[in-house]
Amino acid sequence: MAELLLDPDIRVWVFLPIVVITFLVGIVRHYVSILLATQKRAELQQLQDSQVMIRARLLRENGHYLPRSSFIMRRHFFNNEETGYFKTQKRAAVSQNPMTDPSMMTEMLKGNITTVLPMIIIGGWINWTFSGFVTTKVPFPLTLRFKPMLQRGIELVSLDAAWVSSASWYFLNVFGLRSIYTLVLGENNAADQSQHLQDQMSGAAMAMPPDPKVAFKAEWEALEICEHRWALENIEGVLVGNPSPAIEQAS
Amino acid sequence: MCAGRVKTARGTGDIVAFSESAVRNNAAVVEYCRTSMSALSGSTAGILGLTGFLGFGFYLFAVFGLWCLLLLKAGVRWEKYFTNRRTLLTNGFLGGLFTYILFWTFLYGMVHVY
Repeated sequence: MAELLLDPDIRVWVFLPIVVITFLVGIVRHYVSILLATQKRAELQQLQDSQVMIRARLLRENGHYLPRSSFIMRRHFFNNEETGYFKTQKRAAVSQNPMTDPSMMTEMLKGNITTVLPMIIIGGWINWTFSGFVTTKVPFPLTLRFKPMLQRGIELVSLDAAWVSSASWYFLNVFGLRSIYTLVLGENNAADQSQHLQDQMSGAAMAMPPDPKVAFKAEWEALEICEHRWALENIEGVLVGNPSPAIEQAS
Repeated sequence: MCAGRVKTARGTGDIVAFSESAVRNNAAVVEYCRTSMSALSGSTAGILGLTGFLGFGFYLFAVFGLWCLLLLKAGVRWEKYFTNRRTLLTNGFLGGLFTYILFWTFLYGMVHVY
């Protein structure tokens, strides 16, 4: 395969601008979504529910640092048949259809505006402005199957698969710059679409499963089958420094 | 930080307790290092003009080098900071590879193609 000679102007006016534009659009999208985001108002009831869930989970995970009676007391508070929190609190099932909730609708609309719209507009604009250039060459050999992926917009049968067209270079940038955004903008940025899908993990009180009734039931079950084994059984012996017979029994 | 969750692991009979939020924080810092390493080593490979297997070999070398440096930084008592040495090496390998390839291609194109 003979080496192609590319015009250096393509580098300055096509290759570099695509990288810069993709990067800056990601940054702009991050800040626009911050501007558009409304502070979600948590209802008192919801907040209470999620805090209870967090407490129950903490008890389940760290309960073996408590003496047995304390653990049972706390479990009693949640799980008692007559007076337990999970048994007495009756929550109405949340309506499943987000279309009925107008605030939900605006949320979804905003999400679409900040993610889908720039994708279409910028992608279309790049395709239109920079179409039909052979921009660069990947520094490793590729098989022919990569040709439609890397050479979108130029149909040349005899061109080696390692060459990349401008449209494909744009897409490579869109997907490749993801971790750079994490580096520049911090952990939970909005520049990247895929990060939206992952909800924030534990700890946040706002994160509440949509249906408290189901969540309560699940937590009740988990707490019910939780077996208590006191981790500090032999702590006095460990403190004075003699190896523990009790732990060897347990393990 | 949020409520420090504590997990326990029963290894050789003694109980090891560690804070979940601290572990997560450490993982995030390591992830930062890894992304920077991928970007920088990709740029280096591109400027040097490595092609083919040489470039991928350079990535492996960079990942391994970062692992060694992290362990050197953590010192002999690495158990204090990381739960597992092997996952420190293998975590985020593919994500880093994408970043590496992007920067490699970018700088290779800037310097060597035209």
